[in-house]
Amino acid sequence: MHAFDWFGNHFVLSEHRVIFWEEQQTIIASDLHLGKSGHFRKSGIAIPQEIMKQDLMRLFHVLQHFGAKKILVVGDMFHSTANQELQWFAKWRNDLPHIEWVLIQGNHDILQPDWYAAQHIALHDTFTIGNLLFTHEPPALQLPVGTQAVISGHIHPGIHLSGAAKQQMRLPCFYFSQHQCILPAFGVFTGTHLIKPKKQDRIFAIANQTIIPIQ
Amino acid sequence: MPKKNPAKQPSSPATGGKAVVEAWLVQKGMQAFDFQQETWEYMRHGQSGIVNAPTGCGKTFSVFLGNFIQYIDAHPGEWPSKKNNGLQLLWITPLRALGKDLARAMQEVVNELGLPWQVGIRNGDTPQAERARQKLRMPEVLIITPESLHLLLATKEHRPLFASLRTIAVDEWHELMGSKRGVQVELAISYLLQLAEENKNRPQPLQLWGISATIGNLDQAKEVLLHPLATQGVIVKSQLQKKNAVHSIIPEEIETYPWAGHMGIKLIEQVIPIIERSNTTLIFINTRGMAERWYQALLDVAPQLSGAIALHHGSIEQELRLWVEEALHQQKLKAVVATASLDLGVDFRPVDTVIQVGSPKGVSRFLQRAGRAGHQPGEISHVYFLPTHSLELLEAAALKTAIEQQEMESKEPLLLCFDVLCQFLCTLAVGDGFTQQMIRPVVERCWCFQHMTSQDWQQVMLHITKGGKALDQYDEYKKVEEVNGLYRITNRRLALRHRLHIGTIVSDAMLKVKLVSGGYIGHIEEYFISRLQPGDVFTLAGRNVELVQIKDMTVLVRKSNQKKSQVPSWNGGRMSLSANLGKVLRHEMHKVATQEQHAQPSPEIAALTPLFQLQASISHIPNNNELLIEHHQSKEGYHLLVYPFEGRQVHEAMSAILAYRISRLVPISFSIAMNDYGFELLSDQPIPVDDTNAYELFSTEDLFVAMQHSTNLVEMSTRKFRDIAVIGGLVFQGMPGEQKKARHLQSSASLLFRVFKEFDADNILLRQAFQEVYEQQMEERRLRQAFQRIESNSIVIKWPEKLTPLSFPIIADGLNRNNLSSEKLEDRIKKMAAALNGRS
Repeated sequence: MHAFDWFGNHFVLSEHRVIFWEEQQTIIASDLHLGKSGHFRKSGIAIPQEIMKQDLMRLFHVLQHFGAKKILVVGDMFHSTANQELQWFAKWRNDLPHIEWVLIQGNHDILQPDWYAAQHIALHDTFTIGNLLFTHEPPALQLPVGTQAVISGHIHPGIHLSGAAKQQMRLPCFYFSQHQCILPAFGVFTGTHLIKPKKQDRIFAIANQTIIPIQ
Repeated sequence: MPKKNPAKQPSSPATGGKAVVEAWLVQKGMQAFDFQQETWEYMRHGQSGIVNAPTGCGKTFSVFLGNFIQYIDAHPGEWPSKKNNGLQLLWITPLRALGKDLARAMQEVVNELGLPWQVGIRNGDTPQAERARQKLRMPEVLIITPESLHLLLATKEHRPLFASLRTIAVDEWHELMGSKRGVQVELAISYLLQLAEENKNRPQPLQLWGISATIGNLDQAKEVLLHPLATQGVIVKSQLQKKNAVHSIIPEEIETYPWAGHMGIKLIEQVIPIIERSNTTLIFINTRGMAERWYQALLDVAPQLSGAIALHHGSIEQELRLWVEEALHQQKLKAVVATASLDLGVDFRPVDTVIQVGSPKGVSRFLQRAGRAGHQPGEISHVYFLPTHSLELLEAAALKTAIEQQEMESKEPLLLCFDVLCQFLCTLAVGDGFTQQMIRPVVERCWCFQHMTSQDWQQVMLHITKGGKALDQYDEYKKVEEVNGLYRITNRRLALRHRLHIGTIVSDAMLKVKLVSGGYIGHIEEYFISRLQPGDVFTLAGRNVELVQIKDMTVLVRKSNQKKSQVPSWNGGRMSLSANLGKVLRHEMHKVATQEQHAQPSPEIAALTPLFQLQASISHIPNNNELLIEHHQSKEGYHLLVYPFEGRQVHEAMSAILAYRISRLVPISFSIAMNDYGFELLSDQPIPVDDTNAYELFSTEDLFVAMQHSTNLVEMSTRKFRDIAVIGGLVFQGMPGEQKKARHLQSSASLLFRVFKEFDADNILLRQAFQEVYEQQMEERRLRQAFQRIESNSIVIKWPEKLTPLSFPIIADGLNRNNLSSEKLEDRIKKMAAALNGRS
C-alpha cells in the first residue's frame, strides 16, 4: 500500500490494483473483465474457472479491508455478453447490499441496461465527484469546468524497466500524469499495455504484492 | 524415377503385375534399381517397412509401382478395364508443393501402364468442389498432407472412403518424425489401421511404407512408424551413393569480414559467376526476411539476371510459388532464392548447383539441400557454402568432415504430445464422433502415446469434455459432449472453428496482403504489420509496397518505388546445431589449437588463420580437453563467456544451471545469451567465477536439482507453451469475418501460461510444456554427458581486455535473452528505477 495525495484527495494505492479514496470511502477500480473465463469456456477454450473466483475474492477483500461504502468502476467491468458467471457475480453482489456501485460504461460493458439495474449498479458515461472526472478511456477533450483531473482505465498500463547489464522487466502499474490517472487492470486474466511515461509523470509499479514507486 | 541404367538383370522371370511394370520399363528404355525390385517383392508378400535411398534415386517409384503390381496381381484379367476401384494408395507427404509434381508423375505412369486409375491431390490448395467430388468418388491414389488427412477424418461418414485402402505411404518420414506433424501422422495411421481391422470384408490387411532419407536412427524411424502394426517390418536400402562436392565461398579479406550479425551479402560478387556458369542455382537462406534481402541484392548487383531469378518462401502467395516451381521445371530460371520451403524432395531436374547461405545447422539438412542439385542418380551435386560471418567457415570445415564420416544426426521421436491428442480427439468429435472404447487403443498403439497412463487419458478426456477442473456451478464449458458413450462436437460454430485450427505448425496470426489495385501477393505476420504506420514501405515477395490500411484481416498495399523499405522479420524459430555437428566442430577447433594437420589445413581453416591468431593472442584457443571461459568488462557490465561447443539448445540449459549455481553464492541478476558455440552471462556486478570454484560450478552433482530450481525453466516452458496452447485449442486466432467476436476470445499464450500456472498447475497442457523442456532442451542424459565431458576437461579462464572473435557473435546477438536472478525483486526494481531516472 502506498499513500498518495492528488489534487487535495487522499488516495491509497493498493497492491490489489485498486485505489482507496479516503474522503469518499470509495474503492476505484478498472478493467475487471468479470466473466472472461466463462466467456472463453463457453466457446470451448478451457481457461481455469478459478480466475473468476479469485477476482471476486480480491474485490471482497479490498472492500472489507478499507471498509469502503462505495465502489466506482471506470469501465470494462464485464468482459462480454451474458454468461452464467454473471449470475455468480449477481449472487455475490446480493450479499453486499450496503455497497453503492457506480459503473462508467466501458467498451466491453455490452450487457442490457436492465441487468445492471437489477444488480443495483448505476450506469454512467462519465461521472464527476468533487474535482475529479471519471471516464473509461482517457479523454482527448478538455476537462469540464470545475474539475481538475481525470481518472480512467481501458489501457491496462504496464511499465517496462531496464537496467544495467540488459536487465529487463515488465510490470503492471498506476500511471499519473499531470491531470490524468490511469488505473491498472484489476482482473487477473488481463494483459498489460506498455506506456512510455514522460519525465514528470508518476509511476507506481505492482510487484510481489507491493507497490513500488518508480518515478 | 527408374533410370536408363545398367543395373543387373532381374533374377526371376516376372509374372503378373511385375511383368506389366517391367514391360513398361523396357518400353521406356529403363530398368529398375535393385532396391526398387526388392521393395516390390516385399510388398507382394504383404510386408511393411521403410525405403531408404538418397534423394532423387526413385524412392517414390519403389513404393507406388509396388502398389500397382499388387493391384494387378489381385485383379488378373480385369485390371485394364476395372474402373472406380476406391482408394488404393494413400500417399502422405509433408509438403503441399510436392503434391502437384508427384500427381503428375504418377498419373503419367498409370496412363502408360493402361491402368484406368485416377490420381488425386487433397491439401490446403484443393478447391472445395474438387474435395466434394473426391468424397463422392475417391481417386485410386490420393496424395495428402497430414493436416488434410486430419480434416478428412473431421468429415462425417468418412469410413467408407478408406474401405478399399491397401497401402499407406509416408513420404519424407525423416522430416515428419520428431515433429508434432509426425505425431499427427502416427495418430491418423493408427486410426486407419483400426478402421481396416474393424472392416471384416477386407481381403488383406493394410500395409505401411515409409520413405526416408538417411538419418542416424533409421531403425528407430521404422519402429516408430510401424509401432501400431506391431510388426518388425523391413528396411530396404539403396546402394546408390550420392556424390557431393562441397565448396566454401571464402571472403578475400577475412580481417574485414564481419564477425557477426550479417547476411553474407558482402560476398554477393562471388555468387554471380557461380549462377552464371551453372544451369540453374538454388540459393538456400535460413530465414524469410534474409531471403527477401538477398533477392533484392541480387537484382541490384546483377540487373542482367532480372526476370531470370525468383524468390520462393512460405509467405509468398501460393500462385506465385507454383509459378516459380513450374518455371524451375521448365528451366526458365537461372536462380531461385528459397527458404526451407524448397527443402524437400521436389525433383527439379535443371538444378545443378546449390548455394547454402549461413549455417545449415545440421548434416542431414545440408545433405538434403545438396540433394536438390544434380538431382539424378550418379551425378555430382555441387554445393557452395557461403558464411554470413567469419566463424561460420569453421562450421563449413566441420560439415565437410561430418559428411565424409557419414555422421548423420538422429531425429528424436516425440512422446506424450497431449496437445496433438486433444486436437485429434476433437477432430474425430467434429466428424462421426468416437467412443472411448474404440479410440483409446488407437491412441495407445502410437509410439508417441505408448506410455500414456490411465490418469493421463482421464485428464485429456476431462480437458476436452469438461474444460479441466471446473466448479460445476456457473460453468458453461462446451466443446466435446457425450451422448450414450459417443463423444461429439455438435455445436456448428465450435466445429467450424476447430476445422480451421487443425494442424500443428504454429505461426503468428497471418494476414493476407493484397494490392489496392487487386491481386494477392502473400502473407505477413500480424506482429510485424502491427508496428507499421500507413505510408510505411516494406518488402514482400521481392516487391516494395506501401501500407495503405488493414481491413478485415487483409493488409491493403500499393506498389512503391521507394528504395528504402523494412524487411519483415518473421518470428521463425532458431535452429540449434545438432549434437553431431557440435562434436565435429569441437574437433575442428582442436585441430587448430594443436596445429594438427598443419601440413595441409582445409581452405576454410587456412582462411581463418588471422582470426585464430587474434583469438590466441588476446585469449586462448581451446583444444579437445579444455573448456575456455572468458571474463570481459564493458560499458554494459560484466560478461562471462563459456564455450562448450554443444549447440544452442544444450547451452540454454547449461547456462541456466551455471547461472543458478552462481546465484546461490551471491545475490546477483543475469541476462543470458547463447549461440551454437557458447553462452554469455551478463551482470551488473562482477561474476564470481575463478580457478577456485570453476570445477565445482560445472560439477554433475545434483544436476537435476539445479535444473528444477533454475527459474529459466519457467521462461523456457512459457515459450513451449505458445505452440501447445495453439495446437491444444487454447489460443484462438480468429476466423474470417468474425473479428469483432473473436477479439473477446483472444489472449496471449504467456498470459494463459501465467493463469494456468497460478490456478490450474496440474493442467495436462501446462504439464506438457514443462515436460517438453525437460525432454527436448534439458534432456538429462545429453546434459549430463556434456557436464561430464567438461568435468574431465581442464578449465582455462582468461581475462581478455577486448572482445574476442569467439565472444563477439554471442554478445552481438541480443535477441532471445533469458534472465535469472537471486536478488530481491524489489531491489532489482529499485535499481532499474534509479537507472531510469538517472537517464531521463
